[in-house]
Amino acid sequence: MSNDFGEVLFSPESSSRHELQAPPLSPSIPALQPKKNTVLVSHGRPPWYAEDGQRISDAFVIGVAGGSASGKTHVARQIVRKLGSIPTVIILSQDSFYKFHNEEELALAHANQLDFDHPDAIDMTMFAACLADLKACRQSNIPVYSFAQHQRLEETKYLYGATIIIAEGIMALTDPRLRALYDLKVFVQCDSDLMLARRIKRDVKERGRDVNGILDQYLRHVKPSYDNFVLPSSTYADIIVPGSNNDVAIDLISTHIRKQLLERSNKLRQKIAVPHKYISSHSGSSTPESILEDLDLTILKSTPQLEGIYTILRDITTSRQDFIFFTDRLSTLLVEHALQHLPFVPKTVTTPVGVEAHGTKMNAQYVCGVSILRSGGALERGFRRVINDVPIGSLLIQSENKSGEAMLLHVMLPYYVRYRHLAEDAYVFLLDAQIGTAAAAFMAVRILLDHGVKEDHIIFITFIVARGGGVSVLKRAFPGVKIVCGAVDDEMQEGWLEGYKGEGNPEGKGRTVWVMKPGMGQIGDRYYI
Amino acid sequence: MTSTTAGDPLAPPKPAHSVNSNLAHLNPLPPSVFTLPQTAQLEALYTIIRDKETSRGDFLFYSDRIIRLLVEEGLNHLPVVARTIETPTGAVYNGVGFEGKICGVSILRAGEAMEAGLREVCRSVRIGKILIQRDEETTLPKLFYSKFPQDIASRYVLLLDPMLATGGSAIKAVEVLMEHGVPEERIIFINLIAAPEGLKTFCTRFPSLKVITGWIDEGLNDKAYIIPGLGDFGERRYCT
Repeated sequence: MSNDFGEVLFSPESSSRHELQAPPLSPSIPALQPKKNTVLVSHGRPPWYAEDGQRISDAFVIGVAGGSASGKTHVARQIVRKLGSIPTVIILSQDSFYKFHNEEELALAHANQLDFDHPDAIDMTMFAACLADLKACRQSNIPVYSFAQHQRLEETKYLYGATIIIAEGIMALTDPRLRALYDLKVFVQCDSDLMLARRIKRDVKERGRDVNGILDQYLRHVKPSYDNFVLPSSTYADIIVPGSNNDVAIDLISTHIRKQLLERSNKLRQKIAVPHKYISSHSGSSTPESILEDLDLTILKSTPQLEGIYTILRDITTSRQDFIFFTDRLSTLLVEHALQHLPFVPKTVTTPVGVEAHGTKMNAQYVCGVSILRSGGALERGFRRVINDVPIGSLLIQSENKSGEAMLLHVMLPYYVRYRHLAEDAYVFLLDAQIGTAAAAFMAVRILLDHGVKEDHIIFITFIVARGGGVSVLKRAFPGVKIVCGAVDDEMQEGWLEGYKGEGNPEGKGRTVWVMKPGMGQIGDRYYI
Repeated sequence: MTSTTAGDPLAPPKPAHSVNSNLAHLNPLPPSVFTLPQTAQLEALYTIIRDKETSRGDFLFYSDRIIRLLVEEGLNHLPVVARTIETPTGAVYNGVGFEGKICGVSILRAGEAMEAGLREVCRSVRIGKILIQRDEETTLPKLFYSKFPQDIASRYVLLLDPMLATGGSAIKAVEVLMEHGVPEERIIFINLIAAPEGLKTFCTRFPSLKVITGWIDEGLNDKAYIIPGLGDFGERRYCT
C-alpha cells in the first residue's frame, strides 16, 4: 500500500513475497529495486525514550558501499529480510543526494559528459546532515533526484522513525563525516565485468539510456572512479561482502546486528517509559505525585450543562446517536477552552459603522492538530468547528499484545510538523479521548519533540484524565506541555481484556489493561462502532 | 511551568486589554445580565467579526463560534436534577440530568442566523419565529408575524437576536411570548452584542428575565447603531 506521501509501507512478509517473485540474484539478472528510499515497517515501533522523556538510544546506522551495480541495494534488502520481525527500517540511497545542477552542468549531464561518479557530484554535507537527523531519531526531508531530468527536484521526501537505517551508495564510505555516523560499515565486492553487464541492463531498461552512451560514461567516469575512490574506501569497511552468492555473509551481518540491538534493548529495557508501571495497583490510593494541583491541568469550569453532558457520556445505556452528539458538543467546548494557551496580541479594526474597535488577534502562524487514533478522532469534529480550515494529522498508537507497551504503527503528520523550520514555530493540539496510563500521550509528545515542535507549544486536549494514572509521569517528563480536560477521574483499575486469536497470539490469550473509574468506557468503540 | 526563553518574541497568552471588559460601559451590571468570560480568544473572535474587511465566510464561521458559546452559557441557566447512572466500567456515577423542555425563538431576520449554532448545541430543538418591524406611522415596533410550537407555554424559551441596540423589538418579542403564556422567568434572551442603553431599558422592564450577552459595547450613535458594533448582522451574514 502507498500512503499520501508516496512512501511504501509494507511488512517483511509481503516484501519477502515480492522478492521471491522477482528472479533470484544471479550473475546475469540482478534483482534491482526501482524504489531506493524506502520505509519498511513490521509490527510497530516500541518506545525509544525513557521515563524522563529523553531519547535512550540512537538508531542503528549501517553504511553499504561498493561499485556501481555491485548489488548494494540487494544486500541492504537481504539484511532487512534476514532480520525478520524488526521495527522500522529506512534504506537511504546516495542517489538522492546528487547536487543541484546549473544550466551548464545540465547540458553536460544530458550529453552523458557529467562525471556522476566523482565524490564531488554528491552533496556530502547534506547527506551527512540528513543521516545525522535520522540517527538522532529526528525527521528528515531528503532531496529527490530525477535521473530522467538529471536534476534535483523541488520536492523533498519526508522520513521519520527508523530503528535501523541503511545508507547505501558507491561513495557511502568515502566521506569521513558519513563514516563517523555508521555503527557498521559494509563493502560489497564484485567483479568489474559483472558490474558493467548489470549496469548496461539497468540503465537501458530503467533509465532510458543507449548502450554507446553507457559504455562511454563507464570508460570515462565509472571505471576511474571505482579504481580511485570506491575501491580504496573498502579499507574502512568492517566487513566485505561478495556481490553474489553472499548468503553466508548476510547471515553473519544480520546475526551481528540482532546481537547489537538485543544488547542495547537489554540495557535500556528497564529505563523505557511504561507509565502504567508507576500506577499503584491498589486502586484509589493517591501517591504523592498525583496531587491534582501539582499536575497543573487546565480543567474546564464545571457547570450544570457540563455535568449533564458527562453524565450522558458516562452512562452505559446512552445510545450511540446521543454519545456522538454529546461527544461533539463536549469537544467543541474543550477546544474553545484550550485556545487560551495560544498567544494573542492587540489589534485595531474599523467596523462597518466607521469607528475603530480595539481588540486582539491570535498570534500563531502555524496551528494544527494531531489526533491519536482511534479514540482521538472523537475530538476532531469539535476541533474543526473551532479552528477554521485546520490541518489534522494522526498517529496510530496501539498497545502491544503481550507487554501492553505502546507501539507506534502509523505516522501521518501535518505539513507544519513535517518540516523542521515550520515545526519550530508551530502550535500543535494533540487530541485523545483520555489520559489513563499516558503511554500513548507520552509517545505522541515525544514524536512532536523529535520533529522540533517546542514543548510549550504542545497543547493536549482530552475528555478525562485519571488522577492516579500516568499523567504525573507525563507531566514530570514534559512540564511545558499544557493539558486541557473536562473531568478528572480518581482511579485507574486493573482490568482484563479478552484476547483475539491471531498473529502473535495463537492461543487468543487476553491481557491486563488499565481502565479508568468511573470513566466513559471504550470511547473509540462507543463513538465509531 | 512557563519555560519562556530569553528573547522570546511571543506575548504571553493573556488578555491584551484586560480593561476592555463589559463593566467599562455598564457598571454595575444588572443582576439578570450574564456575560461570557472576557478572554483574549473571545476578544479575538469579536475583533474578526467587527472588522469590515472580514469576508462573509469568516464572518459566518467566527460568529457561529460565539453563538455556540452563548447558547452553552444560556443553557446553564436551565434546571438540572440529580441522576445516578452506571458506567461501562461498572462504576456508579452520581451525575445530573437535564430537566425541562426548551425551544428557540428567533427574531427575524438576523435572529435566524443564530439557529444553526443553537441546533449544534441542542439537537433538533423546536424553533419559533417572530417578525417585528418598525411601524412607519407610529415609529413603534409592531408585530408582523409569529409562529410558535403549540406547547410553548410549558417550555423554556431561548430568545435569539444577535444585536441588542435600543431594545425596542426585543421588548416587543417578550411581550408576544408572554401573551402566549410563557412566564418572564422562563425566557432567556441571547445576543452577541448589547448597547448599555438598550440593556438597561430591557432589564428594567423585565427584571427576572435572564440576558446572556457576549459583549457590552460603548453605546449607540444618532442612527441607533451600536458603537463600535459590527454593522448590520443580518446583512453581513446573508447579503454582502
